[in-house]
Amino acid sequence: MTPETVELARLQFALTAGAHFVFVALTLGLATLVACLQLRATFSRRPVHAQMVRFWGQLYVINYAMGILTGLVMELQFGLAWSGLTHFAGNVFGSALAMETLVAFFIESTFLALWIFGWGRLNRWVHLAVIWVVTLTAYASAYWILVANGFMQNPVGAELDGDTLVLTDVAAVLSNDSTIGAFWHILAGALVTAGILVAGVSAYHLRRGTPHTELFGRSLRIGVYTALPALFVVVVSGGIQLSGLDDIQPMKVAAFSHDTARIGALELELAERLGPGEYAPPGLARAAALVMLMVFVLLFLLLGLNALLASSRWLIVRARAWHLLLMAMVPLPYVAMIAGWVFREMGRQPWVVYEMLTVSDAVSDIPDSAMRASLVTFTALFGVLIAVTGWLMVRHARSDPATVALGSTAPTAFAPADGTGAGRDERPDPSAAVLTFVGR
Amino acid sequence: MVETAAVVVLAFYAIGYFVLGGGDIGVGMLLPFLAGDAGERRLVVAAIVPFFLSNEVWLVAAAGVLIGLFPSLDGDLLGGLFPLIVAILAGWILRDAGVWFRGRLGGDERAARTWRATCDAAVTAGSWVVAAGWSWVLAGWLSGKADGVLTEPQVVAAIVALLTLFALHGVAFCGLRLDGPVRERCARWFGGAAERRTFVLTSTVLAAVVVVAGSALPFAETVGDGRTLDVLLPAVVAVTPVLLAAQVWVWRVFGRRVSDPRHDPRGRIAMTP
Repeated sequence: MTPETVELARLQFALTAGAHFVFVALTLGLATLVACLQLRATFSRRPVHAQMVRFWGQLYVINYAMGILTGLVMELQFGLAWSGLTHFAGNVFGSALAMETLVAFFIESTFLALWIFGWGRLNRWVHLAVIWVVTLTAYASAYWILVANGFMQNPVGAELDGDTLVLTDVAAVLSNDSTIGAFWHILAGALVTAGILVAGVSAYHLRRGTPHTELFGRSLRIGVYTALPALFVVVVSGGIQLSGLDDIQPMKVAAFSHDTARIGALELELAERLGPGEYAPPGLARAAALVMLMVFVLLFLLLGLNALLASSRWLIVRARAWHLLLMAMVPLPYVAMIAGWVFREMGRQPWVVYEMLTVSDAVSDIPDSAMRASLVTFTALFGVLIAVTGWLMVRHARSDPATVALGSTAPTAFAPADGTGAGRDERPDPSAAVLTFVGR
Repeated sequence: MVETAAVVVLAFYAIGYFVLGGGDIGVGMLLPFLAGDAGERRLVVAAIVPFFLSNEVWLVAAAGVLIGLFPSLDGDLLGGLFPLIVAILAGWILRDAGVWFRGRLGGDERAARTWRATCDAAVTAGSWVVAAGWSWVLAGWLSGKADGVLTEPQVVAAIVALLTLFALHGVAFCGLRLDGPVRERCARWFGGAAERRTFVLTSTVLAAVVVVAGSALPFAETVGDGRTLDVLLPAVVAVTPVLLAAQVWVWRVFGRRVSDPRHDPRGRIAMTP
């Protein structure tokens, strides 16, 4: 193990977690929108509502795979590359991960299978309940991961016993300020991401003049009117976190405000308490925070304008220049999400568990060559898969909603209430949804 | 006592993964041998599709239980078996991507056919890598070394035996899932024995291997702190029936055999847009 091992392990974790975060942000937000749309469709039984569920649901399904695959690799990377962390803090940190896998990941994936393949096979109210379980367990997943991450940022509810931490106060771990604030912040950020994506894709179709004006007009409005209030929650939860940060991580605040005098004083104090070392986070933390704030201001102005424009049905269908703006906005929330995450994670360097365990003490005793080989393997695999996923998502986003495969085998699932839907008693073939998913 | 309960919980999820996930890994390995043409390849992939997500979460859960209840074992095992775990993950990613993306390109033109053939190849290659990785890990444990990559001749022999077991388990699983010529082909592997009985047999052998191999792991030295176990273990035991109920629901909803739409008198399913 050399200093290079640490850098390779950090790079590997950063790439995996970063890729995970990008896809999961959309998963969280889009699941919520799809669940709400399906609630509406189940009550109204209107074909346009059903078609919205299927179109946005298919986009959600394509996006989901990358979240699950990167999440898997990340879960095992703790043991693979960071055995110092599992040895030191596993008694607290490991429990949060265990709960995440059982009450969130396990249920979410099992119910997602029920949702995708249960179209037309499950009673429509049960099918609606299934997507809500998927959505709520996705939230639960975010919460438990942030329990683990919040503990690393602000280790409460545990004390040192020999050379490991032991759990002393479960309630303190579960209600950690560093967890709760971030949970609402990320949830709202995910809704901004999904709302703007839905609005942007709808704008593309409206601009091209596709025949599905009602579907995309409604979607555009839903997207804009989801993203704006969600952005308020983002800024409130972000502000609350920032105001409490001085008690938890004063160094992060000092780096953020570029207060060199304060950074120097804190470094001296830490060196006195913990021995000599580098205790200031790298400059990237502040840069990321500034990017996050700038994108936020831009989003705030643009979403305010969008909310005004979206109040006019005529503009929604006809304002082609605005459509272009909406399409151009799609990447912005992603930039803000990643920048916010970089600020949170770089800003706590050099610590993996704040003021208790440094990143270089946490890395596994793995030869450089092995670490490099795994970095190359995962980077290559994920690089290809991200490109494929992105291409498939763009392809689906541009496609005609009438050709969506998801739910196409359940012609009677959302049949009109007036009873005109022919063959309502006819049960679709049980394997039809599965064979459609597999392709020809 | 608490430690024994923790080991039992971990064993439960690990066996769940090898029996359920092992089935679809085996099917993936034998995809080119079980299917005679493109239409049958579609069927064989369809045999695992409604279950692959709900099967692989057993491993996710087992890994979660491992890091929660035996935090230092997690670091020692994964660190010691580093190359094998990386290979298993890479294979897993490959096969999942193949399954997930196979049907995302509709149509029957040449590009779409190549796409599906590429995805099938990814499923097969990924399944072999995953099966070989696990066989290597289990073979090492059977030889008594928990956290090292062994290359002795008897380990190699055990790897070959375990790979065969994965493949047979896959055939048994496929025989339960499909109808028509592929089902008959699967039955021939076992000399026409009843499918349920074959699957129970291969499952039992796999479970026994996991138990015997797993008994080599140093659980007593690595079990988490008592205060963690007092909280986490009851929570895990409490949610397990819920998870099991969700799984049973999936099996019941999608348990029926997938039949070839080309032989289906209704002929309604072949209408993928």
